[in-house]
Amino acid sequence: MRGLRVSLLAAFLFAAPRVALSEETPAKGDLVVALAAEPTTLDPVKYAAGVDTYVLTDLFEQPLKPDPSGKTQNWLAESWSMGGTPDKRILDVHIRPGVTFHNGDPLTAADYEFSYQRLRDPAQSRWSHRQALIESFEIIDSLHFRLHFREPDAGYVADELQLWAMPKRYFEQVGAEGFAKHPVGTGPWRFVSWQIKDEMRLEAYDNYWNKEHRPGVKNLTIKFIPEDLTRVAAYKTGAVDWIDAVPPAMVQEFRSLPNTATFSAVDGNNLFIELPQDLPKSPFNDVRVRQAAAYAIDMDAIISKVLFGQGKRYAELGEGEPGYDPALKPYPFDQRKARELLRAAGYPNGFDTSCYNLTTPREPNMKEMGEAVFAYLSAAGIRCRIVQMEYGAWITHGRRGRPGQPLDGPTSWMWGHGVPGDAGTPWSGHLHSYEPGKGWGDSSHTSDSQADTLLEQARRALDPAHRADLLRQIAFRKHAEVLGGITTYQPLVTFAWRADTVKFQPWPWPGFWRSFQELGRKQ
Amino acid sequence: MIRLIRRRIGQGLVSILGASIIIFVISRLSGDPTTLLVPPEAPPETIAAIRATLGLDRPIYMQYAIFLAHALTGDFGISYRWQTPALTLILDRMPATIELAVTGLLFSVVIATPTGVYSALHRGGLIDRACRVFAMLGQAMPAFWVGLLLILVFSIHLNWLPAFGFGGISHVVLPGIALGWYPVAAQMRIVRSAMLDVLDSDHILVSRALGTPEWLIVWKYAFRNAAVPLLTMLGVYFAAMLGGAFVVETIFAWPGVGRTVVEAVFSRDFPVVQAGVLFTSILFVVSNLLVDISYGLVDPRIRDDR
Amino acid sequence: MIARIAALIRFPFGLRGAPWLPLIVLGAVLVFAAGGEAFAPQDPNGLDLGVSFHPPCWQQGGGLANPLGTDNLGRDVLSRIIAGCRISVIVAFYAIVFSGGIGALLGMVSGYFGGKADALLMRLIEIQQSIPAIALALILAAVLEPGLNTVVIVIVLTYWSWYARIIRGEILALKGRDYIAFARVAGVGTPTIFFRHLLPNIRNTLLVLATLQVGQVILFEATLSFLGLGIQQPDVSWGLMLADARQYITNAWWTITMPGIAIMLTCLSANLVGDWLRDLLDPHLRQL
Repeated sequence: MRGLRVSLLAAFLFAAPRVALSEETPAKGDLVVALAAEPTTLDPVKYAAGVDTYVLTDLFEQPLKPDPSGKTQNWLAESWSMGGTPDKRILDVHIRPGVTFHNGDPLTAADYEFSYQRLRDPAQSRWSHRQALIESFEIIDSLHFRLHFREPDAGYVADELQLWAMPKRYFEQVGAEGFAKHPVGTGPWRFVSWQIKDEMRLEAYDNYWNKEHRPGVKNLTIKFIPEDLTRVAAYKTGAVDWIDAVPPAMVQEFRSLPNTATFSAVDGNNLFIELPQDLPKSPFNDVRVRQAAAYAIDMDAIISKVLFGQGKRYAELGEGEPGYDPALKPYPFDQRKARELLRAAGYPNGFDTSCYNLTTPREPNMKEMGEAVFAYLSAAGIRCRIVQMEYGAWITHGRRGRPGQPLDGPTSWMWGHGVPGDAGTPWSGHLHSYEPGKGWGDSSHTSDSQADTLLEQARRALDPAHRADLLRQIAFRKHAEVLGGITTYQPLVTFAWRADTVKFQPWPWPGFWRSFQELGRKQ
Repeated sequence: MIRLIRRRIGQGLVSILGASIIIFVISRLSGDPTTLLVPPEAPPETIAAIRATLGLDRPIYMQYAIFLAHALTGDFGISYRWQTPALTLILDRMPATIELAVTGLLFSVVIATPTGVYSALHRGGLIDRACRVFAMLGQAMPAFWVGLLLILVFSIHLNWLPAFGFGGISHVVLPGIALGWYPVAAQMRIVRSAMLDVLDSDHILVSRALGTPEWLIVWKYAFRNAAVPLLTMLGVYFAAMLGGAFVVETIFAWPGVGRTVVEAVFSRDFPVVQAGVLFTSILFVVSNLLVDISYGLVDPRIRDDR
Repeated sequence: MIARIAALIRFPFGLRGAPWLPLIVLGAVLVFAAGGEAFAPQDPNGLDLGVSFHPPCWQQGGGLANPLGTDNLGRDVLSRIIAGCRISVIVAFYAIVFSGGIGALLGMVSGYFGGKADALLMRLIEIQQSIPAIALALILAAVLEPGLNTVVIVIVLTYWSWYARIIRGEILALKGRDYIAFARVAGVGTPTIFFRHLLPNIRNTLLVLATLQVGQVILFEATLSFLGLGIQQPDVSWGLMLADARQYITNAWWTITMPGIAIMLTCLSANLVGDWLRDLLDPHLRQL
């Protein structure tokens, strides 16, 4: 545990952008990298899962961006402020001058209005709900615009002001299909080609606006290699220079390989064991049963043995998130206490339940992790009948308002807080009680009015300190009453690259660290 | 004869239609693709809007009618996941798939032929048995295990061959071996039994008596008997490999059709599943058709009996 | 299966050239399957993270408590292999009985009656064989729950056509025989013809096919497990062990090699026995 924290701290320190790794002159040379998962789209309004942001981050940019140490910087926004009245907020944004798209067009407020219109249109965008609280878009001049909110939305700011810079003129020229085939953005890389399931080619954009943090190589080939051993073989045989997702079992080995640099970080996902708390008759309605489940799991042993240490334990909030309080510690492993609590709740001989496990490895070794967790539950008396589910069935299983059997037993679940991390949106989805049609709790199986009130306040709290305090209060309540599931761990992802030829500075978001913002070739 | 061909083509079309209906219906039973296409916090309205856009809210017979109407013009819909036309997705993977299937078959023939011949020549002996066991290894090991072991030995340890991707000849060797391993046993059996049938014949006896060199007898005269059944079997396996090399393609990151179809089923990408299954069923039916017609040409009994 | 083998041994010339080693291996598998967990030194599902990745007893760090080592969750590999025998036999048994039964019946009906029934069956076979088996397995596993029942259903739906086609061919050849024609003329009912005249003649073919199918069933289940759609916890199968151990191939070789060897030995044995049976009983099936 301590070792993990130290190495994470070291990773953050190492990653701090004190030294710009890039050159001013146009980049030269080639690099080949391998990703473990392939994005399905390069259109910022159509992405659905974290994996889709892996390459999006190289082509498109948002007004704000967290730097390698996790601090949010102004990025495409030169400056911004939140004004207006407490009920009718106005977000005022000045665009950085001198930013151009890959086709040469300059970035203006008209492009942002175009982006806003695309994002809020449910016929085109998967993210229209994120723009729901905006009333209107106002262009002041070509580098200045305002967003008028109908209700305060703290989540908007937490999401780096969301609006991706998309080229209006180019889109009108080539249409949606042309844009999908050949996307154009403001990012450090420009799109060259994409053979689906094989490789993608990008080229460094010479007129990229940020001269301090930019790629140091001209041509980038991204190979997609989902099978672990094959990806490792690709690195070891020299076919690729940088790989994503070193398998947990091989992280130790990679750290000691000659001429290999590695980087490990929390990849932004948060895993937990969801418990059903709002079914008419369920043992888990009793807080003692939920606490018993929390005490029954030896998460440290699981992280150490099943995940080879490639996971970070967390209690409700990850380190670095607003509201994080080191005083809030995860439930310790105590089987005796678990059985006591079960007895107190009226289950001296335990009880039987279905337990739902995800078999598709969205995170490494999730299936084994789930099996271990359920084995611990069974040992304490919560006897699990394991139901294995592949991704498609699993993702529907947790949603509310869908046909079929409701979630009626412990379920291995996840909802990433992102990097650097913010629990607002995830908790709105799986902690707040389910309110059909209102946008709350669409994947929630909890119903706690105190948590609900605090979450609704947090949505409106634009003052970061106030919001952090609210999130802290929610975390403590969530922990004590075991609401919204038992938090387990945050997976770590490890990258590896050739130390003598590759320079790599990991940037956290977008892309969950798989960002080639500062990837270069050593001279 | 023409009547036979016309009838078989008609029957083939029925099969293709049947396969597409079955897949159409049961894939829609496998779940709702829209939850996979939206971020976790997307509200039900977004999901409903996407369902309407994809046409999934209509009754199933209407969906099929629309699909069929478009399919006849070559439009198999847009992939839900990749947002490119489904047919393009399948056809673009064809060259890679064909290359892999051809290599796999080449490998299996290269192994099966000498093994079968050798085993026939030394019938009953230890060599015969050893050859048979060796050939059968291919049917005793799961393809993904073979693939992983090949990567471990030839790529990681020996660094002779690359482990992944679509590139030059060296890239197709390991996947070809992993794929071609399975049919070796059946092919060897065919070669062996065909050789055995003919090695005892008078024709061969006379050649031997006349002093023709042994290798000429074996390879020029005897092997010819094995060539036809071997080729028939290769035809059947080729069609199967084109559609079903999924495991090998996944392990070696080979951008082929099998992998595309299977991953589409996992992500409930109905247009791609339908296009893919249609593609494999057409291939299969056509190869069946060719085999049946060629049998009909050769054997009059079969021609009449159907 | 045991009864069939016993019946064979009564053949006077059957013993000569019989593949003893494969038969012993298969016998061992059957014994383990019947005896089940009684033979296993430890609980095949006994998770104990403290002893995970212990190597086999002949390597440094291994011990006799776990002769073949432990897997990533601390479960005993030998016990799991023994438990896997039972699942392999169960799956193979049900798969063979149902796919063989259905396939043979359909093949007999279609071959005997010909005409429309035959045309229908040929179309069904073609349709089924043109749908990739894996796609079918995936869809079925999504509709039902992945597990033993689903695996059996998928195998039955995939392999029935194999039997049907071959049996149909046999029946077509038999149909022309004189004694069948005589029986028909004599007014013998169809069921009687089926069970008293046709079935005994295809019995040998069925036996050979069944034996050859054992290996295919095991490999198919392994492929389904590779996808995560095969046998699931708490059942143990060799395919599942193999699929789960993929990422430990470089640092815990025994977790993937041991089940692989179990599969290899069993499939090889079944195929060798099937081969021998074919040569013995029905040489014209060499084309299979």
